[in-house]
Amino acid sequence: MALKVFDTPALPRVNGGIARLLPIATTALAALISILPLKIPGYAALTPAFTLMAAYHWTIYRPDLLPPLALFALGVAEDLVVGAPVGVTALLLLLVYSVVLSYRRYFVNRTFPFVWSGFTILTMSAMLGLWAVYSMLDLTLLSIRNTIFRGVLTIAIFPVASFLLGRTQRAMMGAG
Amino acid sequence: MIRLSPQLRTAIQRTTVPVLILLSAVVIVLGKADRMIFDSLRAATADSVAPTLEALAGPLAAVGDAVGSVRGFIGTYAENHRLVQENQRLLAWQQTALNLAAENRKLRGLVKAVPERAVSYVTARVIANSGGAYVRTVMIDAGINQHLARGQAAITGEGLVGRLTQVAARASQVLLITDLNSRIPVVIDSSHTNAVLAGDNSERPRLIYLSNADAVKVGDRVVTSGIGGVFPPGLPVGIVSAIDAGGPRVEPFVELSQLGYVMIVDYGLSAGLPQPIPFTARRARRGAHRAAADVAAP
Repeated sequence: MALKVFDTPALPRVNGGIARLLPIATTALAALISILPLKIPGYAALTPAFTLMAAYHWTIYRPDLLPPLALFALGVAEDLVVGAPVGVTALLLLLVYSVVLSYRRYFVNRTFPFVWSGFTILTMSAMLGLWAVYSMLDLTLLSIRNTIFRGVLTIAIFPVASFLLGRTQRAMMGAG
Repeated sequence: MIRLSPQLRTAIQRTTVPVLILLSAVVIVLGKADRMIFDSLRAATADSVAPTLEALAGPLAAVGDAVGSVRGFIGTYAENHRLVQENQRLLAWQQTALNLAAENRKLRGLVKAVPERAVSYVTARVIANSGGAYVRTVMIDAGINQHLARGQAAITGEGLVGRLTQVAARASQVLLITDLNSRIPVVIDSSHTNAVLAGDNSERPRLIYLSNADAVKVGDRVVTSGIGGVFPPGLPVGIVSAIDAGGPRVEPFVELSQLGYVMIVDYGLSAGLPQPIPFTARRARRGAHRAAADVAAP
């Protein structure tokens, strides 16, 4: 069984084919939402990292249904579509996945503030990492201002995303 | 599906993530070494997501329009007052423009100037935006099928938006003038100072390589210079809004966060932009260079 890899209580089995696709589908939806052209001044630079939220949520609650290969493919696709250096988003999502997975046992069955603080630390590290990677790729020291604002916005919106994802998860998979 | 032993399955599961992380890093380095390597993949991805994005862009625009019309309704009286005054001012300008156009035609005839090229327009909807702090691009729902080509200028009624960097069959990517990689030869209208408009991912790009830095003042109008032969001269770009330590900054005429539709203009100039050289051809050429060098150095 795939679940033996994780040394946490075994996850309830989900039999519905569509329900099994929920983590991948919602992460893809998050990637899609983050490239929608909303006409809000300054929004493009500060678009919250929706994909990061979905990846974090599913890595904690259903890592068995979020294959790393899907994260890789989604990350690559997102970079290809927006014209960013290919591989950066994939690298970010996979690093998040592997870090969260290794600390997963501290997060399952904990209160939301605890999960949220984990996300806060993770997002800030991810944003700094992104800033470092892009600075290296562009061979200049990029302004970090937008990066920090984007991180703060991402953290602020996470409760909403987490609520929606949790609701959908319970509705389609039962308690988990 | 092939049955694997539990040990092997566990081993595969344990190595997938590190292998994929390594693969991402390799892909990043490859992309940095050769910008064109993912070109066909980019085009294929753009074409495959374009229908979804197009479908979403319609309702999204409707919501935006609804919000806009409510806001417009609230401000109608003040707006009307402003427009009446503006209309009076513009009517005077129209007379001036007509006089100048007539005079211009006459003078062009006298000096036998080369007639300006015919221009064709394609209007396209913006269907995606680059979310994130490091890339400033938009995707539009027109491409090779509408005879678009790499390097063509994207404009709106107000001014320059950017240029096409990637053209797929039914979607294309516009590099906005605020992107870090955007460099546009411009000229400052009043003082004829040449400069390059360099994006830095902020809302207001900088002017660099000024031919006469002291002549630039806040409020100067910036237009394309046409140097380099990619853009035609005289496209409005923006206004010098501030002069700080890094040089003058330009406020674009176009509100780039409010783009709904853009016009892609074919001035017949995009041939001026060097076409990307396919990776294999480049290797072959490098090989040829080496062969030539071998011959040259006995």
